[in-house]
Amino acid sequence: MIETLTFDVTVVGAGPAGLAAALEADAQGAKTLLIEREARLGGILKQCIHDGFGLVRFGEKLSGPEYAERFMEQLPKSKVTVFTLSFVSKIEREDGVNILTLVTRDGIRLIRTRSLVLATGCRERTSRQIGVHGRHCAGVFTAGTAQYYTNILGKLPTKRCVILGSGDIGLIMARRLTLEGAKVVGVFEAKPTPSGLTRNISQCLWDFDIPLHTSKTVTRVFGEARMSAVEIASVDDCMCPVAGTEEIIPCDALILSVGLIPENELAESIGVPIDPKTKGALVDERNETLVSGVFACGNALHVNDLVDYVSESGETAGKHAAHPLPIQRNLVPVECDASLLYVVPQRLNQNTEDTERVFFFRSSADLDNATLTVTRNGQTLFSKKYAHLRPPEMERLSVHLKSDQLAGAEPVCFHLEGSRNE
Amino acid sequence: MSYIKKLNRKLQERFHGSVQAFERDGCLVLQGALEQWDDVVSAGLLAVNRRCYDGLVNDIIFTGGVIPPMRLPALQDQALDGVEPDVLIIGGGIVGCAIARECARYEMSVLLVEKEHDVAMQSSGRNDGMVHPGVDLIPGQIKRRYNMRGNRMYDQICSELDVPFCRSGQYLCFQSKGLAFAAYFAQVYYKLFGPRCRYLGHTKFIKREPNMNQKIQAALFFPDAGVVSPYGLTIAYAENAVDNGVRLSLDTAVLDMKLDAHRIVSVSTNRGTIYPKIVINAAGVFSEEIARMANDRFFSIHPRKGTNTILDHKAAKRMTAIVSSFGTSSTKKKHTKGGGLVKTIDDNTLVGPDAVETYRKEDFSTAAQNIADVFEKQRMTDPALSLRDAITYFSGIRAATYEEDFVIRKGRRTENIVHAAGIQSPGITAAPAIAVDVSRMAAELLAKTREVRKNPEFNPIRKAILRPNELSDQERDQLIHEQADYGEIICRCEQVSRGEVKAALHRSVPCDTLDGVKRRVRPGMGRCQGGFCGPLVLQIIAEETGMPLEQIDKNAPGGELLFGTIKEVQSE
Repeated sequence: MIETLTFDVTVVGAGPAGLAAALEADAQGAKTLLIEREARLGGILKQCIHDGFGLVRFGEKLSGPEYAERFMEQLPKSKVTVFTLSFVSKIEREDGVNILTLVTRDGIRLIRTRSLVLATGCRERTSRQIGVHGRHCAGVFTAGTAQYYTNILGKLPTKRCVILGSGDIGLIMARRLTLEGAKVVGVFEAKPTPSGLTRNISQCLWDFDIPLHTSKTVTRVFGEARMSAVEIASVDDCMCPVAGTEEIIPCDALILSVGLIPENELAESIGVPIDPKTKGALVDERNETLVSGVFACGNALHVNDLVDYVSESGETAGKHAAHPLPIQRNLVPVECDASLLYVVPQRLNQNTEDTERVFFFRSSADLDNATLTVTRNGQTLFSKKYAHLRPPEMERLSVHLKSDQLAGAEPVCFHLEGSRNE
Repeated sequence: MSYIKKLNRKLQERFHGSVQAFERDGCLVLQGALEQWDDVVSAGLLAVNRRCYDGLVNDIIFTGGVIPPMRLPALQDQALDGVEPDVLIIGGGIVGCAIARECARYEMSVLLVEKEHDVAMQSSGRNDGMVHPGVDLIPGQIKRRYNMRGNRMYDQICSELDVPFCRSGQYLCFQSKGLAFAAYFAQVYYKLFGPRCRYLGHTKFIKREPNMNQKIQAALFFPDAGVVSPYGLTIAYAENAVDNGVRLSLDTAVLDMKLDAHRIVSVSTNRGTIYPKIVINAAGVFSEEIARMANDRFFSIHPRKGTNTILDHKAAKRMTAIVSSFGTSSTKKKHTKGGGLVKTIDDNTLVGPDAVETYRKEDFSTAAQNIADVFEKQRMTDPALSLRDAITYFSGIRAATYEEDFVIRKGRRTENIVHAAGIQSPGITAAPAIAVDVSRMAAELLAKTREVRKNPEFNPIRKAILRPNELSDQERDQLIHEQADYGEIICRCEQVSRGEVKAALHRSVPCDTLDGVKRRVRPGMGRCQGGFCGPLVLQIIAEETGMPLEQIDKNAPGGELLFGTIKEVQSE
């Protein structure tokens, strides 16, 4: 007999976003379920044993597991029900209620829930998605997988490697592998500027004399059963390899840090519209998606740079998931032009008493003395100055906007101006 | 004027004395030296003549590069030394494995040797898995005969071996009004000679496949086309063979043979010398080398590489069947029936393949340009085709003869060999029928020395690893209550449970690699390409086999993923 359980709020994923969402929903008095696929809570934080987590939130530098622990230790004091080793295989919607099918070691379970919070995190782009060619031998790892082998299993996946992509995990793995006894030949980045946080470039590369080569990419992999070398080449303005610039570097592994993709397969299965810019759901300022009763948060919503913002986004979703709106939403679109990579939320609700609206955005270029202008119907709602903006660094912005400022269907438009820093 | 004279004149004109043709023992032989591999192949294709000769042997020396020797297993032992099987099958591709299973129907002792660490490691695991209706095969071809017979056998064989198979059908699309007109007449030809087909005008086609190119004027629909997992079927054949008493020896390469009076007496391998009564050559791209060792060489292989791209499940929703366009892949010039866009049995879309001549028989590398070219062509069929949907890509090498046909026969000179060689597309389709005939030939040869009876114990049924994902919620719940491991999902993209991974490690064909598990139960086949499940599968392999983590290979010996405990490893 398949057991059916009913909750007010069900949170899928117990990484930093899901933990915060579940605790907040519980604090708001909702009967809350937290579902985790793995045996242990904490998501990817479990393997992030470097420090730097929690500066914004706790004012201290914590490791990933320590940061997760701050939330996990509150769970026993809460009424949150936690299922680990539980996998959501299907979501159906019936009269506005979400019905989840769970696969667990105790059998199949059905969960009926009024509000659903998707905190499903993100996955790494693979070698295939960026077109690494040549032999398909052992030795190609995403940075996160290499991190799991090194930090969770305590095994080294390489003795001499090349890192492609200067995303934060790649930079952190460059340091980590060096500390654990491997030789990192260099970090290669196809773009002209590094993708990771400035502090990581300094602390993970410069401090360990690891060279960073921009405008260069890996074009081919060599080897039989295990990798023996990679070919690198310079790229032109269109990111295409330039013939004649190829160079062979002997190595046993290629570690990839070439971007993260929000995991939204569950969201898409119930028809949640996705923003092509963020690859996450379109949400309002309460992190509710365009499907009522379904919320999204954390890296499933958009890839964050700091875990502190991930937790905040989880709390926002958890809080509002616990309190369904009494009246239907009236949503105004938020748009940005090419000067921004994206802005979240992409919708604002007119029908709300709350006037505080929190935005997260990224600039699409390195800008000095930048001005952010937010307009509607050609009128400026507000503007803000920034000394410096970089695409890898996300900006958080809190603004008070009253309902009457949002009357009508016209979009709220974000625009950045500043001097380009080449 | 004789054919040889005319041919030599043509060769003189084209290669200015670098190539000569002559007859030897009923075969046409080419000799000489050329610097370009494409010229070596062109000379062979220019010379080939099926009417006058038993086969073309191309002995032109290629001077423009070094042909890599066959990759050999590192393993050296005497495990097979002195073994005397009735039948020795060389090659664990789909043909060799299917022959092994069919041989088990007779009272014969059978040994199957494969140089790789698993079956289906070369062409059989590196194709589009299409069960061809035989659209562009010509009456008279051996491959056409086996394709037609093999295709009809698929429902039964896949049901016996518990392998998913779907007759999804194939559309051959025509882009211009003129071609649509020709297609209308082509269906008359197909009605006379097969395969079955139906003509669909523009409106009907677009109604059935609304996401395909709106410019398609007409299509022929071949309902007999289907899709299967080619490595899944090969593994199933091998498992059923082993279950019926066939001995399988992996990591075993044939190195040489000793003959006496037109009979193979012994076969030496890296695992000792074997003394078989009958030898079956199912060695794929290396079948010419085996024929050479057996002193029975009357064909040559010119390897032809093809690259396929696999798209995410999301992209597979765009169509219901195999869709190809006339003029993109079905051209004789390119010698590939290549599916075009194949909706696979695992609900991915496969795009490809192309066809490139190569002298490297085991170069499975991929190149961006080949894939870009294939996509460009296939956009004729589906304009929305995007490389962004690609989750992976792979290459395979077809074992083409110059006759562009299969070689399925007893030896010409050597009495105790049967060749199942030159098998390229449609080899997957043809394999079940080839296996029936080749096993019978082996039994006939053996019957010259002793009576060969049918094996009364033969069991044609093989049970696959459970697929909980395909059960109803109630059945799945029941299964999990019996075995909790089926309730723990290891691979999120393909929803593979711990129970399935464990089961894959305890089958009758051994499996102890990450990719071996992937080929059997699919963890890592999805969009994250094993980023999340790889380390979990690795740990399960270690738990189940007792191997240390750092000894587990990705795909083949020497392909270890880990180097040892952190801080203890010396960097290089």
